[in-house]
Amino acid sequence: MSRAQLVLCTVLLGALVLQAARPQFRLLIVTFAAGLSCLLSTLLATGTTSQLLSEVPWDVLIILVGLGLLSELLVTSRLFGLLALWSTEASRANPRRLLVYFAIGMYLVSGLVNNLTALLLVLPVLLILLKLMGVGQRFVSWLLGTLLIACNLGGAATPIGDFPAILLLGRGKMTFGSYLSHALPPTLIALLLLILAVVLLVRPTHGMTPSSLAEQLSVRVMRQLYRNVRLDWHLAIPSLSWLLLMLIAWLLVPLKTGITPDLICWVGVGLALLWRASLGEKLLRTRVDFEAALFLLGLFVMVGAVRRTGLFALLANRLTALPLPPLSQLLLFLVIAGVTTGLFSAGPSMAALLEVAEVLARRFPPHAVYVGLALSVCAGSSFLLTAATSGPLLQTLTERAGLRDRSGNPIRFGFFEFLPIGLLGFAVIESVAIGYALWATY
Amino acid sequence: MSTLPPELAQSFAVAMGELGFCSTAWLYVRVVAQAGGDELVTVLREQLGRTFPVLDAVAADWLSGQRAPSVDAGAVFSACHGLERLLVVGLEADFLDALLPLLDGVEVALLSYSMVDVDWERVSANYAGRVQLVDLAAAQEWAGSRSGLLTFVYGHNGHLSHVRPSWLRFIGDDIRTQFRSILGWNVLRAPLYVYPRWLVETPLSDFSEVL
Repeated sequence: MSRAQLVLCTVLLGALVLQAARPQFRLLIVTFAAGLSCLLSTLLATGTTSQLLSEVPWDVLIILVGLGLLSELLVTSRLFGLLALWSTEASRANPRRLLVYFAIGMYLVSGLVNNLTALLLVLPVLLILLKLMGVGQRFVSWLLGTLLIACNLGGAATPIGDFPAILLLGRGKMTFGSYLSHALPPTLIALLLLILAVVLLVRPTHGMTPSSLAEQLSVRVMRQLYRNVRLDWHLAIPSLSWLLLMLIAWLLVPLKTGITPDLICWVGVGLALLWRASLGEKLLRTRVDFEAALFLLGLFVMVGAVRRTGLFALLANRLTALPLPPLSQLLLFLVIAGVTTGLFSAGPSMAALLEVAEVLARRFPPHAVYVGLALSVCAGSSFLLTAATSGPLLQTLTERAGLRDRSGNPIRFGFFEFLPIGLLGFAVIESVAIGYALWATY
Repeated sequence: MSTLPPELAQSFAVAMGELGFCSTAWLYVRVVAQAGGDELVTVLREQLGRTFPVLDAVAADWLSGQRAPSVDAGAVFSACHGLERLLVVGLEADFLDALLPLLDGVEVALLSYSMVDVDWERVSANYAGRVQLVDLAAAQEWAGSRSGLLTFVYGHNGHLSHVRPSWLRFIGDDIRTQFRSILGWNVLRAPLYVYPRWLVETPLSDFSEVL
């Protein structure tokens, strides 16, 4: 390893470990470390700040911010609150049905909006419902854990659901249609396997005495809470129409035209915001997710600095030089991707591992490598509560809700409560990732 | 005698924030009566009545034969005659839902302050732009010679009444002089029987009219 590789890799890993250990200073750590990477790159003569900034995948950031704004339009139309109410009514507040309905609902929502937004949309309604139902610690842990994993799976199912898939789309590794057709089925299979395992094997509702009166009251109260809440059709229909048009354009417009996915997103979201100009202006001024954008920008700069040292190419060469059959190398790579994501979270892992994946994609069908990688990153994100930003958010929202069990004891949802679900989720999704890679290479 | 699931207390506490003590109590009494008749309503009163005094009063009304809250929105509408703006302190969904359609041409605001958890955005969404939310700092901007102040009263004995704590947080000698009418809408037929937990006492003389 050269001196530049060692120094810049230490900065990257140090920042990742620190931000995981001190999430309250996450943004500060990553932005400072990115600045430090620029300085060290300049001093070690591996790249200048302008070179590092020009290599940032701005298209990914544009898609992330654009889709976030489009989600805000849909939130304002009250679409998601009403969908959550519909799930409550359809499940009739029965704990087992509730788990299945909300897991599927979360998967669908997070396929369209990023995971944080999906949680912020669905969780408040669910937490109110859990308070009304009066459930226990075990059920809450498994329910919320399953939802978090369903959220990760939904994010991996579509090219616009979460950062790793957006990165694949933005870098032109896969087209919109190709990613969707290859990633949707395995994520759906993983979701079904997870739900079956939780409902039939773990049985989190075991020991709960069902009370039809409590279930009936929960549904009646929820209906009252939303008694006059109506969907803003004038906002929902145009927003959904613009989203549909964007999906069609992503599917049909070839990349060689120069009309890239980020450009489609930029123009599409711009038109959707112009449709309701005053609301659009307000959302642009107040609801852009600068935190996520700044965090990813910092990561891209740090990863770019390490890439310029040639370290990723070296790692890829080492991997392909291992005395293993090529397929075993791919499988080893997928397992490493899952574990590193569990430790360092999805953004950094995906950004770094993509460099290695590019080498493997020359030897295997690209979709086997890239979708396998996206699934492994999804497995890693589901491993530990701290592995994805949605985990700490879920923990905070749950703590803030002040849930209590029937005896009045506070219900917690933290690292250790999530661990058993995380292990199950990781095992299921990583197995599907490996199974998918094997199937796709044959 | 039957018992009720223990989670009902927590569930009631959640609902009362956004629906109001009285509206929630009527909802619970109706559902419980549907499930187990008067016998189960008696159990509900015994199990939760002391914790939620308005529920105790509503259950007593039910057991004495009353089957719906007495929502006389017409009387409140008459008392609002000539008003251009009305600031509501406290929340009772059944009552406010009945009053709002009558107040055509009157601007209505709701003080977004509560001692219990309330999702004010959802509350506001239920009134589809008809009700504006105001916080304590902005509430005084609603004062004026054609402005009224309305709160919900949970029974009185001719001298003293019970109201939500948010009323005492807002009302004061300076406020009284700034509104043309200060209305108390009594949502219970009789004074509270058990200790008025969640509520505070205020003299009836606070109000220009109690309806």
